[in-house]
Amino acid sequence: MSNIKTYQRPASLEDAWRLLSEEGKTAKLVGGAVDVGLFAPPEVATLIDLSHLLSTSVESRDGGGLVIGAGVTLTELLESPQAQAYGGGILVTMLRQVASPLLRNAATLGGALASTHPWSDVITLLLALDAQVRRYSGHPEEAALETLLESRGTMDRVIISEVSLPRLEERTYIDFEKFVRTGFDVGMLNCACRMSLSDDGCANVRVVLGGTPDIARRSPDVEAAIAGTSLTASDIEKAAAVASESIPARDDVRASGAYRRILAKAGVRRCLQRMAQKAGE
Amino acid sequence: MTMTLTINGKKRTLTIDPGEKLLDVLRREGYMGVKKGCGAGDCGACAVLFNGRAVNSCLVFAAKAEGAEILTIEGLATGEVLHPVQEAFLQEGAVQCGYCTPGMVMATIDLLSRNPDPSEPEIREALSGNLCRCTGYVKQVNAVQRAAEWMKGGETRG
Repeated sequence: MSNIKTYQRPASLEDAWRLLSEEGKTAKLVGGAVDVGLFAPPEVATLIDLSHLLSTSVESRDGGGLVIGAGVTLTELLESPQAQAYGGGILVTMLRQVASPLLRNAATLGGALASTHPWSDVITLLLALDAQVRRYSGHPEEAALETLLESRGTMDRVIISEVSLPRLEERTYIDFEKFVRTGFDVGMLNCACRMSLSDDGCANVRVVLGGTPDIARRSPDVEAAIAGTSLTASDIEKAAAVASESIPARDDVRASGAYRRILAKAGVRRCLQRMAQKAGE
Repeated sequence: MTMTLTINGKKRTLTIDPGEKLLDVLRREGYMGVKKGCGAGDCGACAVLFNGRAVNSCLVFAAKAEGAEILTIEGLATGEVLHPVQEAFLQEGAVQCGYCTPGMVMATIDLLSRNPDPSEPEIREALSGNLCRCTGYVKQVNAVQRAAEWMKGGETRG
């Protein structure tokens, strides 16, 4: 039963922030409202609609980077030519695996980040891409998604306005893998890897595992196992074994911790194999 | 609170509760083709077009539809003439109990408005948020393919 008593459409981000500050935990920010529609806590009495205030544009910048308005729905992002061109289409690969089209038509990028769901595919890939988040909490500021996730419990208490993805240097490779039981189910585990490969071996390595069942985190042990290698079959097997041993896997309703360790190994292996194949082409 | 929106081409001003979902408001206003299923965004029985995109109306706060164009299954036929997607579902027998059909039809219209010639995997992806517990989806996929053929040919019905 909903306890929502007021639905606000503030005139500006400043007004939205003021309302949120005044109402405290009894207010909730709304973008696509998918999450709030499903999981609104009983103490929430006020909804603050941001959808008319947030950008819905997807723009290429800085010679290949991407700037995405937080009001963009996941479908709009998926259909955007700029997003399709970015990183060999990795955003599309991931987004096609997120929920159903009916949900993607309503869910926004800002909401997908603010909700900080542990199973989030969006967060896993954006962490691997080193996304920067522009937000408003009385004043505009920008921070790495990785930094913001360190204070996960407060992600929905700021207004996320924009996400930027860096330009990917030549010979940078990125891949994503998700394990699900049915087509648009929440994943049992997901994995994203990014690295650049030169004659000196792998560098700028980022390996992220999510839905462990905790929220996505970089895996420093796996990254260390890959850095500097030439990504041979043996290197890949070693990194995959490290992934299995090092993830903070636990049991939940979707999978056992033991099974997640097997999935982590398979996910890292598949990502790295595809990246090595692309590098060799 | 009051809100103004357009439902099936008609402008309406409605009094709603701030926490009400679009599904409940539409059904209260008589649009009973919008079916109430899971209430959690899983089954797609409540799908309507919201500014041209199919969404689960059970998750959308009615207040969010201020100024929006909503299309329900009731807004598709012209008099006695069915929309080609409705006609295709009938002719292919893509209906058993019929409860999921309005949502399937709305999801199909969203798909065909953007992709007039979808492949079978694209059709299956587009309908992946619409669950049918009676059938096995084969006839629905056939219906979407038939509707796509008719609509490409400019036919209003089969």
